[in-house]
Amino acid sequence: MSALTITDLSIDFPTTKGVVHAVSDLSLSVGRGRRVGFIGESGSGKTTTALAVMQMLAEPGRVAKGSIVLGDTDMLALNEEEMRKARLRRVSYIPQGAMNSLNPIMRIEDQLWDGITAHEGTTDRAELKRRSDEALESVGLPARVGRLYPHELSGGMKQRVCIALGVILTPDLIIADEPTSALDVVTQRHVMQTLKDVQAKIGAGLILIGHDMGLMAQSVDELAVLKDGVLVEHGETRQIIENPQHPYTRELISSVPLVGGESFLDDEIGAPPVNRGKPGVPLLEFKGVSKTYGNVTALQPMSFKLDGEVPKIISIVGQSGSGKSTMGSLMLGFNPPSTGQVLFEGQEIASMNAAKSLEFRKQVQAVFQDPYACFNPFYRVNHALRFPFKQFGYAKSEAHIQEKMEEACTAVGLDPALVLGRYPHQLSGGQRQRLIVARALMLSPKLLIADEPVSMVDASLRATILKNIYDLKDRYGISILYITHDLATAYHVSDYVIVLYQGHVAEAGPPEEVIGNPKHEYTQLLIDSIPWPDLDRSWGTPSTATEDAERLDRLARENKTEFRGRVPGFDLDVA
Amino acid sequence: MRTIPTSYLLNRLLTLFLTVFIAATLIWIIPRLSPVDPAEIMLGRMAAGAGAVADSEAILAQLRANFGLDDPLFIQYLKYLCNTVTFNFGLSTATFPTPVSALIANALPWTLGLMILSLIVTFIIGNLLGALMVWEESPKLVKVAIPAAMVFTSIPPILSGLLLMWIFAANLRWFPLTGAYGLTVEPGWTWEFAISVLHHGFLPALSIVIVTFGFWALGMRGLMITVQGEDYVTLAKAKGLKPRYILYKYMIRNAILPQITAFALKVGLLIAGQVLVERIFAYNGMGKLLYDAILDQDFPVIQGVSFVIILMTALSVFIVDLIYPFIDPRIRHEAST
Repeated sequence: MSALTITDLSIDFPTTKGVVHAVSDLSLSVGRGRRVGFIGESGSGKTTTALAVMQMLAEPGRVAKGSIVLGDTDMLALNEEEMRKARLRRVSYIPQGAMNSLNPIMRIEDQLWDGITAHEGTTDRAELKRRSDEALESVGLPARVGRLYPHELSGGMKQRVCIALGVILTPDLIIADEPTSALDVVTQRHVMQTLKDVQAKIGAGLILIGHDMGLMAQSVDELAVLKDGVLVEHGETRQIIENPQHPYTRELISSVPLVGGESFLDDEIGAPPVNRGKPGVPLLEFKGVSKTYGNVTALQPMSFKLDGEVPKIISIVGQSGSGKSTMGSLMLGFNPPSTGQVLFEGQEIASMNAAKSLEFRKQVQAVFQDPYACFNPFYRVNHALRFPFKQFGYAKSEAHIQEKMEEACTAVGLDPALVLGRYPHQLSGGQRQRLIVARALMLSPKLLIADEPVSMVDASLRATILKNIYDLKDRYGISILYITHDLATAYHVSDYVIVLYQGHVAEAGPPEEVIGNPKHEYTQLLIDSIPWPDLDRSWGTPSTATEDAERLDRLARENKTEFRGRVPGFDLDVA
Repeated sequence: MRTIPTSYLLNRLLTLFLTVFIAATLIWIIPRLSPVDPAEIMLGRMAAGAGAVADSEAILAQLRANFGLDDPLFIQYLKYLCNTVTFNFGLSTATFPTPVSALIANALPWTLGLMILSLIVTFIIGNLLGALMVWEESPKLVKVAIPAAMVFTSIPPILSGLLLMWIFAANLRWFPLTGAYGLTVEPGWTWEFAISVLHHGFLPALSIVIVTFGFWALGMRGLMITVQGEDYVTLAKAKGLKPRYILYKYMIRNAILPQITAFALKVGLLIAGQVLVERIFAYNGMGKLLYDAILDQDFPVIQGVSFVIILMTALSVFIVDLIYPFIDPRIRHEAST
């Protein structure tokens, strides 16, 4: 018997501009104990379908036709109170972005208890405490976590709490909406294994929503591929991965960058790279730089020289909290180092005068993670492009600005007619992120700091945006520091890779060595944690998490560095 | 339960002290920038009362000496600071020789009573209404409250006061027109007196409530809309919690936090905002005292009242600083740096 049967489901969003068909004629069933992955890019209707099961469609969405049957209950026939009772008890929801899914002013255990109380009426503290401890333990969290507040937990722990909540009333169906999208690879693997483990224990059906084919391949039994609200392909995971029928499925599979696989960058050998460095003076230099916040060491002392004569892409990889973003903010001069000096073209950033500082800002540009937060929503996107260009004195005339904006848009693969003159909310995440790259490009900087530039855009777009960034190197002679947790893309774009662990360089060298053939255990762990769209490659077992934790502990104490060779124009030294 | 670290407490106390000190200095300086000589005003008042004053120069000098106006400014300032610490604001020039502190002591309980009553009522009504404007389950009727709240907020309190007086006191005769209590009742701890006070306080309080609830309601509405979009509210719904429980524990509980800070700041502002209300209702509170003092250029009283306003604002901010970590676990009592 199946846990969930969806038949001919259509969901409409009536808007002033006409009805949007978010989901059309979708039929699918999820068996008990089965894991089904809904995969597709944003706007494909995967989350909308899941929310329809919960009857939690955002306004003005409504089910136009079809049926949703959970066990033997017709979900669409339930009234509001009956539906409320079915939530959590019969179908639970594990939300995306665990960062903000818990009420900040309630203790964890209170947020587990109120769920139980709302459905069973139990208010006996001892009983509630026993059950919340049990639920926390089932997801690998100690019982004392219950007494904490959400802000005291890491992202991975918060997501585990959400999983504990999702299984606490042993529902028939669990819907997990990109439960690991905000987590780094190591944590992602642990959380996914926990989810699979508890789901198997209670024998519930699982709908896993996502856009990463690799993660899907390693996590689900069946795959449902959605595009523009239509189910384009559905079947056993192995069959779909190995023999995809629909071109869109093939595209999703090929968009996953592989270490050692074929490069997504078509490296045409064209004009030799533009040389824009000052001979003899390194473009960027760290001299014994370290950073501490209070008692916490974010970055241990390190020195490097990037000469910039031949533009390079240096990747800095690591988990969250490894110190990679700290490095980025030190380079941008947002933060002074605790010890040592950060120099740009021989000048210490911290002691620059106003004129030098302005020149530095011109020459060093940044692309950040969140393409939504980078634009002021009140202005058209032109403003973000035009303003720095004018402010730094590049603009000769309005026509010149316009010409440059169009040129920059074209360089990142956007049609200027389509994007210029629009407001940020009218553009997709991918378009916005490319505009951010275009903005940086207009100023023709010598150095670009790209901090997780593609981690918030759909997998299918990542390759294109990275290609845009990669092209800047040779075509415009821009040296790039690429900060990421994604080793597979770092492998393809970089000339040199630095793996950071707890503020310490674990391994460094050319990507073919460091990522292609890692020597340091930490790099190996990062690579093992990547979910591959390859079913014959093991992604670990539930016990992996404990082993990994022990490994990480030991590595933190060892503090050793593997140097794996050099590239001309970049010198790294670790004190 | 958390405790408040001593270093944090000392830090906050120092801030409190500095705020009050700087403000006290400012209210001493500002009236002295005015070209008016209070001694001359008193003399003028005496002259107006008696028809003419002989030997006016000698009287002026005498008055200046009495008020310490002939000391060098620095000495005047030091004396002022010493006196302020003991709540001795000198003697009123308008109702000479009543001490300012006695005037304030008489007026303060009336104002505090009226103010606290109306502020609390407004805070509750306004925030609840603001929350209901956003809540999905609330009756459609609540939506009407948005334009109403906006209209009322834009009315000056003096007009709402006059309107209420005209309807409920002059025409319907449900409430007395003016005063803080009936002329026939003896002030004291009796039921009769208490009822008279409530009866007299109702209209002034109401006139304050109807013009200020919109401030809270619209502010709360904005905060609630933000909270409504938060993931934790979506998850609360997915947990199948009861809508009312979500409203209180997940939405209002989070949205109210910035409003509490606003509440603390409003405490001081309210005395100032109440000036005209007290004036038209002839309510013997701080507002009326301040109003009369300004008319009479009664500097000691103006200074005294201003000081009390500052002290109350600073104290309420101080209290909110101390309790905030208890109502929002994300905020900590940061030890001083």
